[in-house]
Amino acid sequence: MSDAKILVIIPAYNEQASIARVVNRVKECLPAADVVVINDGSHDSTSFVAYESGAKVVSLPYNLGIGAAVQTGFILAQAGNYEIAVQVDGDGQHDPGEIEVLLSNLLTGESDVVVGSRYLADRGYVTPLPRLLGTKILATYVSILAGQKFSDTTSGFRASNRRAIEICAENYPADYPEPESLLAFRKIGLRVSEVPVHMNKRYGGKSSITPFWSAYYMIKVILAVTILSIRRAPRSEDTAYVH
Amino acid sequence: MFTDRLSLLVFVAALGLLLLVLEMVRRRALAEKYSLLWLILSLVILLLAIARPALDRIAPILGIYYAPSALFVAGFVGLLVILLYFSAVITQLTRDARIAAQQIGILRERVDELENSGRQFSDDK
Repeated sequence: MSDAKILVIIPAYNEQASIARVVNRVKECLPAADVVVINDGSHDSTSFVAYESGAKVVSLPYNLGIGAAVQTGFILAQAGNYEIAVQVDGDGQHDPGEIEVLLSNLLTGESDVVVGSRYLADRGYVTPLPRLLGTKILATYVSILAGQKFSDTTSGFRASNRRAIEICAENYPADYPEPESLLAFRKIGLRVSEVPVHMNKRYGGKSSITPFWSAYYMIKVILAVTILSIRRAPRSEDTAYVH
Repeated sequence: MFTDRLSLLVFVAALGLLLLVLEMVRRRALAEKYSLLWLILSLVILLLAIARPALDRIAPILGIYYAPSALFVAGFVGLLVILLYFSAVITQLTRDARIAAQQIGILRERVDELENSGRQFSDDK
């Protein structure tokens, strides 16, 4: 669909059950793209399975958390002169077939980051009620702080252009990267847009989010995002470049 | 010198802390950099515990009627400063550790790739 140099970043923590399928689907849907799995200190054979399925695998020596894992991917994209970076979760809840939707939106040049949203249109994803409530409250809050309407602030299914890659490689929120990054993008002047996507049930493994934890998660994220909104711009010492 | 038992107790405790910190620095169990705040804190408390007249003058200014309680106030404030300082140190360490881990991950992948291509090259020959 385009000649742009694309890196697909797949963060994975203990995803041996689903990672091969995700990698294969991505390669099938985007044959020209490079695929890197960031193995975030998994205790299972995620690294091996991902490597066997033909992805480049960067294994972090211990669990750094999703934010730092994704940032590692951006550092690679930055160093490798990729024009577009796509994030896809390693658990299989994102359909790589829909990367194209993200890309076609990004290629219009009207946004720097395109986020796939579960809630923009009814695409058959049924969210458990407590979690739906939590994500709604969170989305409303982040939208208010950011001054832009976001429907899905926890989606990690995204495409970023070169400008966004450079910014994310330099600095990416560590704790709750999805909602925090939306706010950070707005503060730094990146244009973000959402497109409707549908999400699958997980292929395998277990979600890290249960009802109790989703409530706890929401409270923590609201605190983190509030603090972020009053925080000054980051310094460039937060970077890990490998030249 | 010690008109009350509490001041004596605080003096002994502060002296103990001071000696412990010095000994830890001597054994290299504590870096000088991180011992500084502890030394300052234990010295201040030590001096206040000895200098009862000074304490008697300072305490009422702070609205403290029982002068030796001022020792605890000083200790508490000192500890808060130390804890906050170490939280900042931890933040920095966490960031440094993250950057190191990211670099290790990226470099290890690169080394594996280079070793593999090297192997292919020697296989060809």
